[in-house]
Amino acid sequence: MASQAVAHDSEHHAPPPNVDADVVSRELVATTQSASGRFKAWVWGLGILSVAGIVALVLKFIDQGDDSTRWGYVAAMVSFLLSVAGGAPMVAMAPVMAKANWVRPITRIASLFSFAGVATLIMLIPLVAILPPLVTEGARRRTVWYMAPDYSPHFWTTLSLVLLIGTGIMLFYSAALPDFASMRDHSTGWRQRLGKRLARGWVGTDVQWRTLRMRIGMFGTFYFLILVFVNFLISTDFGQSMVPGWRDAIFPMYHTVSGFQAGVAAVVIALYFSRKYMKLEKYIHLDAFWSLGRLLFALTLLWIYFFYSSFIVFWYGRSMNDIATLDLLIKGPMIYAFFAGMILLWFVPWWILIWNKVRRGTAAMVVGSFIILIGLLIDRIRTFVPAWSVPGDQIHEKWLKVIPETVWPDIFDILIMAGGISLVAFIVMMMTRVIPVLSVWQVQEFNLLAKPIRYMKGHATLVAKPD
Amino acid sequence: MQQRRELDQVYTNRKLLNGQLDTPKWWLPTVSILGVVVLIGVIVIATMINKGLGLTGLARPVYWGLFITTFVFWVGISHAGIMISAILRLTQAEWRRPVTRAAELLTVFSLLTALVFPLIHAGRPWRIAYWIMPYDVARGIYPNIRSPLIMDPVAISTYLTGSTLFLYIALIPDLGNLRDRTTGWKNAMYTVLALGWRGNPRQWKMQTVGGILLSALMLPIFVSVHSIVSWDFAIASAVEGWHSTIFAPYFVIGAVHSGVSAVVTMMALMRWLWKWDDFIRPEHFDALARLLIVVATGWLAFTFLELTFALYGQDAPEIALREMQMFQWPWNALFIVFFLTGYAIPVPMWCFKRVRTNIALMFWTSILVNVGMWLERFLIIVPGLARRTPFVYTWEAYTPSPVEWTIFIWSFAWVTFLMLLFSKFFPLVPLFEQKESQVFTDDVMIGRAKVPAIVREAD
Repeated sequence: MASQAVAHDSEHHAPPPNVDADVVSRELVATTQSASGRFKAWVWGLGILSVAGIVALVLKFIDQGDDSTRWGYVAAMVSFLLSVAGGAPMVAMAPVMAKANWVRPITRIASLFSFAGVATLIMLIPLVAILPPLVTEGARRRTVWYMAPDYSPHFWTTLSLVLLIGTGIMLFYSAALPDFASMRDHSTGWRQRLGKRLARGWVGTDVQWRTLRMRIGMFGTFYFLILVFVNFLISTDFGQSMVPGWRDAIFPMYHTVSGFQAGVAAVVIALYFSRKYMKLEKYIHLDAFWSLGRLLFALTLLWIYFFYSSFIVFWYGRSMNDIATLDLLIKGPMIYAFFAGMILLWFVPWWILIWNKVRRGTAAMVVGSFIILIGLLIDRIRTFVPAWSVPGDQIHEKWLKVIPETVWPDIFDILIMAGGISLVAFIVMMMTRVIPVLSVWQVQEFNLLAKPIRYMKGHATLVAKPD
Repeated sequence: MQQRRELDQVYTNRKLLNGQLDTPKWWLPTVSILGVVVLIGVIVIATMINKGLGLTGLARPVYWGLFITTFVFWVGISHAGIMISAILRLTQAEWRRPVTRAAELLTVFSLLTALVFPLIHAGRPWRIAYWIMPYDVARGIYPNIRSPLIMDPVAISTYLTGSTLFLYIALIPDLGNLRDRTTGWKNAMYTVLALGWRGNPRQWKMQTVGGILLSALMLPIFVSVHSIVSWDFAIASAVEGWHSTIFAPYFVIGAVHSGVSAVVTMMALMRWLWKWDDFIRPEHFDALARLLIVVATGWLAFTFLELTFALYGQDAPEIALREMQMFQWPWNALFIVFFLTGYAIPVPMWCFKRVRTNIALMFWTSILVNVGMWLERFLIIVPGLARRTPFVYTWEAYTPSPVEWTIFIWSFAWVTFLMLLFSKFFPLVPLFEQKESQVFTDDVMIGRAKVPAIVREAD
């Protein structure tokens, strides 16, 4: 791909290159057509793992469908995938609302994760079948569905997750209309036909642009609200309410915040590989990594704050509920997972991301992001596996009197976890073949709104902030 | 929205130093009236310390009442300074500039006021020393240093020290300016306080770096202060309604809601009283209102979670408490007022740009928020203690006494009095920030549209 722009990868606040709009369109649309051998090999590998994971999920349901204590790892996986695939698209809207210019070129990568929500839905289906109803043997368990019908968690969680995926896709599609038009105008074959069909007659009139911005704002706001709601349901109905006596008001927020943290980490990883292997250095500036690094750092601190706020109340509270909850989730069978999660989700990323020099680079940022995702997976296992390991006949107790034995993952669980993660990566990679990985119109808007200027004896950037 | 105005430095100096170089006509009568109220408050406090806490409405089982509620309220207001100054500085929000000084000042004075309440609440304030020193050396009775009741004064005094330093560092360039425009004892005072400020590049660099470092250092303290205040309640598992894991972030976000609203109130007053229409503009209120919508909605989500998980346990005493809080007189009336003033009235109004840029409406809605936020603290603290529980053999219904109400009113007069006194000697809008914003903002033509723009650093 012949580049007509100048790369500025060595500078932090690099002034945007003066790239002709037509060149931007052609270069970015061309990224959908060229795939290296390595890319194809990865796609095949991930695809095979995804299929293996789905098959393992079906086999597990047939084999262990009547024993809820064996489904903790799948519950942890649902929570993990929701965090990654649900949290990432937030990067496409939260900084945009705050009028941050750096985020414009990378909103597409973030919103591609909306499609990966399908992986969460696949994992949720057997779990919904296994989740006990609210009333068993005449007794109603503790729940946020106080007087609601017995299968409320099952119905509303599924519906809200479907709604979340739908809204995420609509958010993606609303922002992608001009790019489909670019594909229509700059592509050939099936991509051109697809672009023509999905662009819905986009020619860029004032009315179309106004409608586009309104839709992004509307779907973005809905997406955020639904995401918080889904996190609330999954963390409560599929976690907290499975354990007698576990009453933790901050847990849904903790779950949501760690989801945002994972989402940003996933975007950093996707950004890194796109930049490196699709040769997009001149469009993905280091400024984006720097800003994402600050966001990730803030979320890492927020994670430990939420964790500690909960922990100290249990620790000092010393009621039977508090002691049992601590024994189950922290001091008991999950103590090593607790320390590993603490180190990987907070201490190591905090120590990596605190350095400005690190945030100005890409390599350490991507390492930090991988560490966060590993830490999150362990943390989800720490919370959901013990919660599901509580036998069904104890669910109505006042508090947990006997801490269950550690449940180790079996071959199904390992395949399901590998398959679930692979499916997310597979979907995102496949989507880069359908639409440019960077939003063409937002790259152009970024270039239009940021202008390098001389400031006294130095350099600065003049960033326009339209209403 | 940016309503940028070209203002030269002479005009900026003249207008923003009008409180120090001239005395507005309203200043002396206002300060005198406030001084009288403050004096009455001090006399009442002294009387209460002399006669004992029997003068208050506090009685078994409600031992924490108006004083502790007001303490939490003022600690909450103090969150304005760091929210506005530190967080907005770190995120390079350009609109923060005229607001920073007032917010930092509010932090310092509200913390000073907050500290008074636990002291007088102790009945015999000198016995506060037992919190830190061994109660009885011979028998080895030591204070529990792990208790939030010990962590609390430590956090608040650290916050007060840091905030004062923060305020002072940002004040230095303006002190240099005042030094050069005054004579006599005032000149001597400003000379000492300006620390030899000349405005050379090195001093500017140090001042900027100092501000950024302090911002970063103050943030954890900012969060810890109200978290620790919340743990005073949350770790007490015996009191229904208090033992909740969400209290720390719930208190912090509530504090930010309350503190930023107080800044809005103060900005409106500053604009009206000192006629700073060129500096405190509708765009600043607009930005603050947008911030408040986000903060208030976050706070509402935490309120929802707090209530939801209170009922989640399905424990009879907890349910009884919530029923009392929401459905029994007079708590139900307070609850309705709290909800209406804390969220339901102001936030929907702020969704309209016309309201956000209307200074009078912003002033009144920001006051409403603080009425609601005070009631929120009252509803958290008092009903949990007031609910009749088994094995308590005496009950007194808690009604705050006139002494408590007088001290409550005193606290508002005291903060306003300190503010006005400060305004006589130091500018309430930072001059250098104002001048810097003139340089760092511009308009650019994009196509046919004139778009406001800001200058960002480049390496």
